[in-house]
Amino acid sequence: MIPSDPKQVKQICFDRIDIPDVNTLAVARKHGAYAFLPTVLKEFTAAKIVDEMKLSGLRGRGGAGFPTGLKWSFVPRNTGKPTYLLCNADEGEPGTFKDRDIMRFDPHLLIEGMIMAGFALNVRDAYIYVRGEFLHEANVMNEAIREAYAANLLGENILGSGYSMHLTVHRGAGAYICGEETALIESLEGKPGRPRFKPPFPAVEGFYRCPTVVNNVETLATVPAILEHGGAWHAAIGVPNNTGCKIFSVSGHVNKPGNYEVPMGTSLKTLIEEYCGGLQHGSVPKVVIPGGSSTPWLTAEHYEAPLTYDGMIKAGSMLGSGAIIVMDETADLIAVTRRLAHFYAHESCGQCTPCREGTGWLERIMIRVENGQACAEDIQVLSDAATHMAGRTICALADGAAAPILSMLKHFPDEVRARALGKAA
Amino acid sequence: MTSLFINDQEVEVTPGTSILEACRQNDFDVPYFCYHPELSVAANCRMCLVEVEGWPKPAASCCTPVSEGMKVKTQTESLKKDRQMVMEYLLIHHPLDCPVCDQGGSCKLQDYALDHGASKGRYAEPKRAVVNYELGPFVNTCMTRCIHCTRCVRFADEVAGTGDIGILNRSDHMSIAGIVEEALESELSGNLPDICPVGALLDKPSHDVSRPWEMSHHKSTCTQCPNGCDIHIESRGDEVMRIRPIAGSPEPWICDRGRYVYDAFRSDARILEPAVRRDGELQSVGWDEAFDRVVSLLKDKRVGILFSPDWSVEGHTAIRMMRDTLFPDAKVAFDLHRRDMRPFAFEEGLSMTTAQIEAADQVVVLGSDLRQRLPLLMQRLRKRGHAGKPVSRIGAMNYRTNMEISNDAIIRPRDWPAVIARAMEQVRDLGKTAAGFDAWLAAVPARHEAGKILADALMAESCALLVGEEIRSDNDAAALISGLDLLMRACGHAETGSDGRNLIPEGMSAQILSSVFADVRVSAGDLFAAAGAGELDAIVVVGSDPLGDGLFPTAATAALDKVPLIQIGSIAGRIGERAEVQLPAAAYSETEGTFVNMEGRVRVATNPIRSLGQERPLWKVMMRLVQVMGGEVPVVSLDELRAAIVARVPELAGAWSATEQDKLLLAPRRNRTSSFTPSKQKHAFDLDVVSRYSMYREGMWVRASKLLSEAAMLHCLDDLLVHPDTLAEAGLQPGEMVVRSFLGETACHVGVREDVSPGVLFVSRRGVAGALSDLDVASLAGGQS
Repeated sequence: MIPSDPKQVKQICFDRIDIPDVNTLAVARKHGAYAFLPTVLKEFTAAKIVDEMKLSGLRGRGGAGFPTGLKWSFVPRNTGKPTYLLCNADEGEPGTFKDRDIMRFDPHLLIEGMIMAGFALNVRDAYIYVRGEFLHEANVMNEAIREAYAANLLGENILGSGYSMHLTVHRGAGAYICGEETALIESLEGKPGRPRFKPPFPAVEGFYRCPTVVNNVETLATVPAILEHGGAWHAAIGVPNNTGCKIFSVSGHVNKPGNYEVPMGTSLKTLIEEYCGGLQHGSVPKVVIPGGSSTPWLTAEHYEAPLTYDGMIKAGSMLGSGAIIVMDETADLIAVTRRLAHFYAHESCGQCTPCREGTGWLERIMIRVENGQACAEDIQVLSDAATHMAGRTICALADGAAAPILSMLKHFPDEVRARALGKAA
Repeated sequence: MTSLFINDQEVEVTPGTSILEACRQNDFDVPYFCYHPELSVAANCRMCLVEVEGWPKPAASCCTPVSEGMKVKTQTESLKKDRQMVMEYLLIHHPLDCPVCDQGGSCKLQDYALDHGASKGRYAEPKRAVVNYELGPFVNTCMTRCIHCTRCVRFADEVAGTGDIGILNRSDHMSIAGIVEEALESELSGNLPDICPVGALLDKPSHDVSRPWEMSHHKSTCTQCPNGCDIHIESRGDEVMRIRPIAGSPEPWICDRGRYVYDAFRSDARILEPAVRRDGELQSVGWDEAFDRVVSLLKDKRVGILFSPDWSVEGHTAIRMMRDTLFPDAKVAFDLHRRDMRPFAFEEGLSMTTAQIEAADQVVVLGSDLRQRLPLLMQRLRKRGHAGKPVSRIGAMNYRTNMEISNDAIIRPRDWPAVIARAMEQVRDLGKTAAGFDAWLAAVPARHEAGKILADALMAESCALLVGEEIRSDNDAAALISGLDLLMRACGHAETGSDGRNLIPEGMSAQILSSVFADVRVSAGDLFAAAGAGELDAIVVVGSDPLGDGLFPTAATAALDKVPLIQIGSIAGRIGERAEVQLPAAAYSETEGTFVNMEGRVRVATNPIRSLGQERPLWKVMMRLVQVMGGEVPVVSLDELRAAIVARVPELAGAWSATEQDKLLLAPRRNRTSSFTPSKQKHAFDLDVVSRYSMYREGMWVRASKLLSEAAMLHCLDDLLVHPDTLAEAGLQPGEMVVRSFLGETACHVGVREDVSPGVLFVSRRGVAGALSDLDVASLAGGQS
């Protein structure tokens, strides 16, 4: 059970995660799932829920960190069109594997969060867009949804409240770009996943050009706790403007990689040393990518920075999806960058000129840099091509593709130069 | 209005305008590739980036709406570098083959590479090569040059409605391709090379022939359909090389018919010299000798005159003057598709502009293959459809439209009275009626459910009725149009300012023709019947081909067996084989002239290209004819002729003033007193015959064009089509069978298609089907394949 004293809260989404068979409705209910749902459906108004969400300070856990309550409040009412709720479970950011655990271990938490969110937004049809590779997770979700329908937690007239919502799992086909919310919408509509330009924003014109809210799994899974304990309770966890707990997917050169949910504000060093069993080699990491491969790199200098949205921005990076990739001194950073360049070149949707042509170009240059077959001009091109890609395209994939290149050039210029020109030891 | 600052200059634009449009409207240069004012926004080329004060990143101006007080910068050091990089990205895979690329000289990529690009590219890796694909007879593809702006994809989706161009793959493997390896089905495909900013899609017929800078441009009006689009005829010397739409004219596109007819201008079918028939052969002679023969054939003779509506207003008026001076009793016909010559309650021409039709609450198409007839109006209806506005249709065939028709019914033409009567009853029940309803209803015993579609649409605030050839060519057309007129009046769609009565004319200048010739006009069928019956001694045909077009080829053949033919025109056509004398008249590319389109819009061509042979403007040929026949020549100069035109049609007074011209909108003629009720139907045969107008086959210009004739082969159907039920009822199988009609029996191949209304025999290749074009009813018999 989540403590009602915010000071004692250690985790929210992972609260039930270690309970055996909590993915089944019976076990989940025994441990509190759906217990507060009837109260929400019967006693809460949509406005109250949105207010609580605003008060909670919860920021989107998918990467951008946009305040969830604010996002919900942008949805126009009485447009005559249906409003859709889409759960973004297309967890594709390299290094991220948190949503997967929520779905496979505690699917009812997500369903409950979606019912509450759907109720607040007057949604009749909600979808979970699951990454194509997550076959097992999709199966678990589907089984949980089947159970929820059987128990009248989904479908018509949920628990006699008069509110009806249908929930459908849709599996993607493995495109990274479909994790971008407008590409996700396009894909869900049956089209190739290519991001749309904004405005109009999905809140106004999203799925089938109707008002749509797209939220991350972890965000939606936090909703039941917030509504049960109140927005103020959630706001008291973590640090101001960065409230609540956050799941960090830690991978790389640590002794105990894995998912760890900790209160916001925990420092990077604490997470790695106290939770992850410390580094494999050395005492400080060479590079930490704090928010998934698309975020700029941090070095030892920021080892003690707090893991918050603001803290990471201050350190020159982003919290992103909370995927912390740790590299110690044994890492070949140029090979890592080349591999990431390949990833982005492969995953670019091809719409925008800079990203379509730039990502492939960067990869081809990186191959030569890695093999010591580049020239001095290539390093300038890497910098120019990456700089003028980021922020110049419809979506942020180009920014993500530029981040590793620019970080590599910023933090390790000499190493890159030596390697590129074939002079590395 | 929203006011904003562009480069520190305050400008005002309509709220919701994009920054790019605001810049375009106020002459701030912002480069772009993927944006096109007539297509949806894609925002993918990223060339149009601008900086907005207070925004962390540069914004794509094409997809960013303006806001009050916004401060936009279009020229900064950082943008310069961004544009330079976009150019570098675009050029890394673009081949350096400008010297052999047709686009060279009118290429956005080339221009911007000069304006915004670096002097040298830094890309050192292998370049991409892309497989070409088949895009129909008019479009050449060279996809390695493609810059993925997706204009063509959006054009196929939004304008052509075919949706058969798409995007394959992603990242830098992304390519544009035809979804099926087939010809682009669209009748607007020739616009693709125009919208392609680079040399990926090029005009196939003019491929590798000329360079943009060699062309001289001649502003003219296309007369290939009543839409009368503004065109640039581009010529190298005297040779027409291509025809293109004019930017900023009412229609940004032109159809393939109007565009690729250009090869007819220098085809063998042109009449370039006077000729007379000797020993069965046409031989070139001088003008004097030809006129001697004309005089001998026409002097003191009873003459019938048939001409094409596609001449300029000057030509038409000269024909009228010639007739009045030389043959004051002559019958005149100019329409090959009208059987009923009683005055129509609303005569040919549109009372609305095509833009108003696009905007109307309801549009109902009655009996028209609009896509073939008026491809650009069809395109406007498609645009309407995209905006979620309804288009309803009633007709004999489920004609392809490339859009979703909201309400559709297929009927036999003999059901038209029942359809209209059903609609009258419905609107009367809702309290809308007009004097004349009772008499009309009393004359029609049957009711047809399709009338509901019509009546439902009429209840809207504004309703555009598009009355097509199936009604106009009906034997009882005046009664049907009278019924429709009553309906429109009852529902308030007949008042000035909200007049929705549009009768699609056969050709250009319908408003002028139906008034200038109202008193002397007969049906072409009547003219041929009179000749066949020995009431005429000669027929003068001016630029018309009744053997190849229209509804009277059999009657025309019979008439020409009896009387000699004097042909005046630009193209010989099928009828040329029967001419005793041929006199060359200048084509529409070669003459100064005034044209009025179906909306009543006036256009004057002023800089014609030089004549190829001895052809002269039609009005001069007419005046010379008057002279040699011994008549008093009524006008001797273009100014005098135009004064004479204004005397007949005072509305045209401002036509030749550049400032007045655009304000003119000639209304179609109305005959308030023309009220007719349907006659009792008695049909000698059980099937109604409807013949198809094909834009690739109808008209002598088009048949003289090799390009369009080739396209016609791609778009052909079986000669005759019927609904499978029609055959099943008669116990017949598709294949060879006998068509019985008033002409006797003809052996034909008949195919089946569910799109044809049961009870209709659909002649899909008019002209090719020869005699059958004359029919309005027939029956099928015998024949097993």
